[in-house]
Amino acid sequence: MATAATSAPINEQYNYDIVRKFTIMTLVWGAIGMFVGVYIASELAFPFLNFDNPYITFGRLRPVHTGAVIFGFGGSALFATSYYVVQRTCQARLLSDGMASFTFWGWQTVIVCAALGNMMGYSQGREYAEMEWPIDLLILVVWVTYLIIFVGTLMKRKQPHIYVANWFYLAFILATALLHVFNNLSVPVELFSMKSYSLFSGAQDAMTQWWYGHNAVGFFLTAAFLGMMYYFVPKQAGRPVYSYRLSIIHFWAIIFLYMWAGSHHLHWTAIPDWTSTLAATFSIMLLLPSWGGMINGILTLSGAWDKLRTDPIMRFLIVALSFYGMSTFEGPMMSLKDVNALSHYTDWTIGHVHSGALGWVAMITFGSLYHLVPRLWNTQMFSLRLINVHFWLATIGVLLYITAMWISGIMQGLMWRAFDDYGNLQYAFVESVAAAHPFYIMRAVGGAFFLAGMILMCYNVYRTIRQGSTETQAELAPAAA
Amino acid sequence: MKHDKIERNLGILAILTMLAISAGGMVEIVPLFFIKETVEKVEGVRPYTPLELRGRDIYIREGCYLCHSQMIRPFRDEALRYGHYSLAAESKYDHPFQWGSKRTGPDLARVGNKYSNEWQTQHLIAPRSLVPQSVMPNYPWLIKNALDYSDIQKRMLALRTTGVPYSNSQAEYERNVTEFGADVAKQLHIPDAEKNLIGQEQLNNYDGKADQVTEMDALVSYLQVLGTMVDFKKYADDEFVKYR
Amino acid sequence: MEWLLWFTQFENTKPLALVIFFTVFCGILFYVYGSKQRGSKLESYKQIPLLDDEHVKEKQS
Repeated sequence: MATAATSAPINEQYNYDIVRKFTIMTLVWGAIGMFVGVYIASELAFPFLNFDNPYITFGRLRPVHTGAVIFGFGGSALFATSYYVVQRTCQARLLSDGMASFTFWGWQTVIVCAALGNMMGYSQGREYAEMEWPIDLLILVVWVTYLIIFVGTLMKRKQPHIYVANWFYLAFILATALLHVFNNLSVPVELFSMKSYSLFSGAQDAMTQWWYGHNAVGFFLTAAFLGMMYYFVPKQAGRPVYSYRLSIIHFWAIIFLYMWAGSHHLHWTAIPDWTSTLAATFSIMLLLPSWGGMINGILTLSGAWDKLRTDPIMRFLIVALSFYGMSTFEGPMMSLKDVNALSHYTDWTIGHVHSGALGWVAMITFGSLYHLVPRLWNTQMFSLRLINVHFWLATIGVLLYITAMWISGIMQGLMWRAFDDYGNLQYAFVESVAAAHPFYIMRAVGGAFFLAGMILMCYNVYRTIRQGSTETQAELAPAAA
Repeated sequence: MKHDKIERNLGILAILTMLAISAGGMVEIVPLFFIKETVEKVEGVRPYTPLELRGRDIYIREGCYLCHSQMIRPFRDEALRYGHYSLAAESKYDHPFQWGSKRTGPDLARVGNKYSNEWQTQHLIAPRSLVPQSVMPNYPWLIKNALDYSDIQKRMLALRTTGVPYSNSQAEYERNVTEFGADVAKQLHIPDAEKNLIGQEQLNNYDGKADQVTEMDALVSYLQVLGTMVDFKKYADDEFVKYR
Repeated sequence: MEWLLWFTQFENTKPLALVIFFTVFCGILFYVYGSKQRGSKLESYKQIPLLDDEHVKEKQS
């Protein structure tokens, strides 16, 4: 197939510099965030690892982990790929290099401040939105700039049609803005205090927080990565997406249905029953567009299945879609109130999140970046074999992780509700903690596998960048897959 | 001409997207304003005292909510293990809510008065000295750190802005006397916050260190009030079913 | 403005919303799959990601 054009005109036509920056930070935050994840998993298995040090206790590091992997790793990956995809599918340069650069430095500042702030004990006490109000304001400024760049670039496009991947990215940017603003409404203690109290309380606050928490998963970790999927799977496969019409239905159905399902995180709590029931109903319906999207992605490969044997990058992308299908089946099942009665508050939830986060989000990112990196630095990947090793490390890691959490989660749920012959509780709570110990070790090992793969990727990309160049002659240009 | 049409398409796409993503949110948010009316009418729920409030801040600072829920579900096993299921009214002054989503450790919604102050203090300093299989971190610094209550009034004022009935004037104080009784109303009066905070610590001496108000004092005072505000003996068993 | 109160009742707005959303969904389905001509036009857009390399080359030559 045709080789990409020489880089001088490419660099004029597209702003690749910003894509390169975000790509590198994706890897850096991935390694840091996953390392913290493995560390806190080990703290649960071996509590002495807290070392009586306030800054590294589980409670303070956990938001560091979620912040670094969701917003650092995931966020940077989305900035990188969305800037790349919107330019390539619109055949237009980003609206403004300066604004793009601002989103880069602004976003990195957000992640660093959030991590340090959490370690120092500044927290809003809202899961996945622990950043205190000054950071929230910076996020808002960066995000509005991002929206302007994205929409501005779409308006400059030479293609009359907006490719569907950009729809997903656009929905993600709009939804994230909406969620971020409403979930972080709070009253600061004073102008120069890092402490604030949320505007809502109790049941209302819970509904707002889980509307945010659920849809952060829905739009940040799903819709946006589907945008990634709709570009990189066809590119890597060298053939168009299975059905464009299905992708349109997929888009509207998923962005509409997702927003209703938030309160399935609050089953059996002190919110009115009808909200739970409504959320469970929509969660079940959500299975359809989710699987529609998965099938659309996987069938893109129909007729070229041999690529799965020969191309480890393709394997990353397809396995990511398979994990997506699995966790979008598991999710609706866990949203059924009877299943939820057992699964809620247990490790099963943690396993479910990670089958989505590691299996889907991280795997699709790895695949996309392995496709992207050689094109950004005008070279080939340093080692295809290392990609293959990474693939197996990641797959084994995820499987260990979610298996451990399934077993310990279901075990916890059953132990908590077990009665003896006299109708008394059979187990003290701490017996369920002790019983989970071997599975906490297994989970940490699984995470370590995944982290090892991540570090291998960093090395592979580092060597690729070393051998590549941002201003290369034509003969070094990659053979497009 | 063609360009106009293209721009319109992008606008339409963005607007339709906003509509689609707002619909679900609206239906989830609008009822929030109705919930205000459907929160149970129940006696005893009051805002936190200054000391408890600072304890709650520390609870949030240390990320306790990541391993401990404060939301008992209406199941038989949870009733036996933790007590009466949690009511919406019981967290109506919680900014933010701390219901949690994970029980790596047990639920704390009704942990108040279950253990002595000495037990709580020792357990926070070294959990495994009391519960060998526990995986909770040690929190030895809580008893070493003096509690910073220099901005306690500002904190209460911020909460007052969100709607918590702390009083900052004589009229508000008297309203609280009618609503909560004189003893509670005194604790909620912002100008007396420091005095009340120290007074509560001296009266109870939660951490066994009489000479100093520590972070441990604040946190234990918060833990000891959790779930104790409502006296369920006063209500029939099925009193709260109608609100669900 | 009395008629506005009708919308405040959930037993009214729920079926109304159901009808609206279901109609919109059917509309999208019809738009996407209703006409062969429009269908093939929509399907042609799936080539966009694969066009970009060629496009660059054209511009250069």
